[in-house]
Amino acid sequence: MNRQILLGNEAVARGAIDAGISGVYAYPGTPSTEIFEYIRSRSAKENLGIHARWSTNEKVAYEEALGMSYGGLRALVSFKHVGLNVAADPYISSAISGIHGGLMLAVADDPSMHSSQNEQDSRFYAGFAQIICYEPADQQQAYWMTREGFDLSEKLKLPVMLRLVTRLAHSRSIVTLTEPRRQNQASLCPDTSWWTLLPSNARRGFDRLLNKQGELRELSESHPANHLTIAGAGKPGIIAAGVTNGYLREALGERIAEFNILSLGFYPLPIEKIRQLIEQSSEVWVLEDGYPFIEQQLTGAGLHKVPKVKGKLGGDLPRSGELTPDLIGAALKCSKNPAVVLPGVESVLKPRPPVLCEGCPHSDTFQVIREAIRGYSDVRIMGDIGCYTLGFYKPHEGLHSCICMGASIGMAAGLSHAGFSPVICVIGDSTFTHSGLTPLLDAVQENTNIKVFVLDNSIVAMTGGQPTMVTDGEVVRLLAGLGVPGERIRVIKPLPRNLEENVRIVREELQYRGLSVIISRRECVTYYKEIKTAKSNRQGELR
Amino acid sequence: MKQDILLCGVGGQGILSMAYVIDHSAMEAGYYLKQPEVHGMSQRGGAVQAHVRVSDQPIASDLIPLGSAEMILALEPMESLRYLPYLSMEMGWLITDITPFVNMPDYPDPSSIYACLFQLPRVQLVNGFHLARKAGSPKAQNMVMLGASSCQLHYPPPMLEKQIAQLFARKSERLVHINLNAFRTGRAVSDFHRVLVEAGVPVGLAARVLPWLDFDPWPVPEAVSGAWIEFFKSSRVCEVLDVMWSKQEVFPLDPEVPGRLLKDIQ
Repeated sequence: MNRQILLGNEAVARGAIDAGISGVYAYPGTPSTEIFEYIRSRSAKENLGIHARWSTNEKVAYEEALGMSYGGLRALVSFKHVGLNVAADPYISSAISGIHGGLMLAVADDPSMHSSQNEQDSRFYAGFAQIICYEPADQQQAYWMTREGFDLSEKLKLPVMLRLVTRLAHSRSIVTLTEPRRQNQASLCPDTSWWTLLPSNARRGFDRLLNKQGELRELSESHPANHLTIAGAGKPGIIAAGVTNGYLREALGERIAEFNILSLGFYPLPIEKIRQLIEQSSEVWVLEDGYPFIEQQLTGAGLHKVPKVKGKLGGDLPRSGELTPDLIGAALKCSKNPAVVLPGVESVLKPRPPVLCEGCPHSDTFQVIREAIRGYSDVRIMGDIGCYTLGFYKPHEGLHSCICMGASIGMAAGLSHAGFSPVICVIGDSTFTHSGLTPLLDAVQENTNIKVFVLDNSIVAMTGGQPTMVTDGEVVRLLAGLGVPGERIRVIKPLPRNLEENVRIVREELQYRGLSVIISRRECVTYYKEIKTAKSNRQGELR
Repeated sequence: MKQDILLCGVGGQGILSMAYVIDHSAMEAGYYLKQPEVHGMSQRGGAVQAHVRVSDQPIASDLIPLGSAEMILALEPMESLRYLPYLSMEMGWLITDITPFVNMPDYPDPSSIYACLFQLPRVQLVNGFHLARKAGSPKAQNMVMLGASSCQLHYPPPMLEKQIAQLFARKSERLVHINLNAFRTGRAVSDFHRVLVEAGVPVGLAARVLPWLDFDPWPVPEAVSGAWIEFFKSSRVCEVLDVMWSKQEVFPLDPEVPGRLLKDIQ
């Protein structure tokens, strides 16, 4: 028997490998990154020949996977929850086109926003596209659900979602693996009208999708991941989705035998099982990590008369943040284990937020900007997503917004339209290629009066050192290709000894009314080894 | 067998490597295991923790419930206090490095942290950073601390050493050597503390001398342990300990030292 210690993410990755995928497509983002990384590293070590290369963004990743599915091969897409916003366009329509080779989307939600800007719940996206969604309770389930999901995807000819949350994505346990399946043979789907969503084809495709809904509901009723245990009529009932199953068992201990429990791990919801649970139970608790997705469907936003449902909407459980065994234990009135209490400890404890590393080029860039804008009033610096978002904090205080990948440039343009000047924005090299190219093209066309800092540190640092799409001279060529005039592309090297010269360059650009791009180029100090590898790989490919 | 351990420190200090060693030892011993950890933003010098849950029965929750951890094993003293609500009142041990990691403007006065630590019923204080440097690299602080917890762990030290060797073999033979050395130095601290406590020295009192002894890799010479057991019979122990903590000087593992310290105070 093959037993391994795997992260939840790695269990998904192993499940996909053993299901016979031929490609994995992803963009790095906590808490999803390790799914791709595991597959790439295992494919290289075990010589599996799985196509594994980071995509420029999540939309591209999804489309590449869809193309592989078009060619009859199995493909896994993985990214974090907000990545699905970026990929939403091909994702939603791929449920209408349907798929050919099995296509699974592993999306990692981040309740409590450990490393994210929101805690949106991807289960809504599964409902939105009207496809199946798995929600594993533990690492072993993450493994077999991924394996099974590919089979089901091909059987139903639909993409399948697997929803993870941070706690499972980043928790290790021992997983038992099963025999791997061979990869598919490439083949084309004979009917191209499926894939060509002209209105007339799309209407037929949408009907196909709607007609499958009955089958999806039947699958859900009989699926082993949706398991109903009735302890007795009139006892309190609980619906526990995904990881909350473990928390519930931890909190209740032996008292679990006093409850009617529906364990839930497969969507759409098994309506008949839920009906049975409600009928048999004195009250029904809904335990789910994320938004009250199940609870809302049960209560119909308060329009239906289901007075005995308890959960997040009624305030019986916190509306935001991840659930824990302690929160569930408190709600169900379980006894608590006494903890060590030290009087006065609160006054000693101080929060320790993350900080930019010592010697980080971003610190120097923020200093250059700070010095250069001295004398101007009300300067706002539109920020973006990456390590440099930490520039919000002291001592830098050099960033005044962060909404989503690429928003810095578009927001800077809008702020300039609102009459403010100068307007500055900062964006990292990888975020720039992810979502910064299109807003920059707008700014080029209009010669918008904004100063765009591209922070080129040659690596995707915040997520653990993944290679970037462009760095060094490639950034300059890319900017020139988008139409930024050569004299308005400035390159500075953010080092303390260059401060004066750098400030002079930035001040020159501040005096110009129009679009300037300042590339602040210095390699990340933390991932110098990864940068060296990435750059030498790159030269090998370009040769 | 059931053991919940909370590992904590500052991002980059090497918590995940400690977890790796315990995880793989647990699997080898045939136990169940759950081990959530922190990735992402906090790894940039923020507060990080990992829960390590091991049991001979299936484990329900990845997260340790409050008040249930048998041990907090910390690489940083202020961080060790952050997770006290997890530490079991009945059986919880707190084992921490005493070296502050200051990457924030409002880091508290270390003596206020130590004052909190001195109040704990089951505590072990370790000069991990210093001992790691001595063992060959300050980065091996995590393995010193793992060694320092070895008397509380359910795995024989050779089992842990095997996993340490495996973990660092990917990097270099030199790192295997340094980290094993670091682990054994930590083990000397743990064992020395155990010997003192078994000889009747109160846990908290014995803990206070640990950071100021220059441990070598395990074992600690019996003459040294014996001399310190004698030392703790004196009525002036607390005065000597106060001086040690104010001077923060590290003394050699020499059986003469405790007697000399007592004499100096008189």
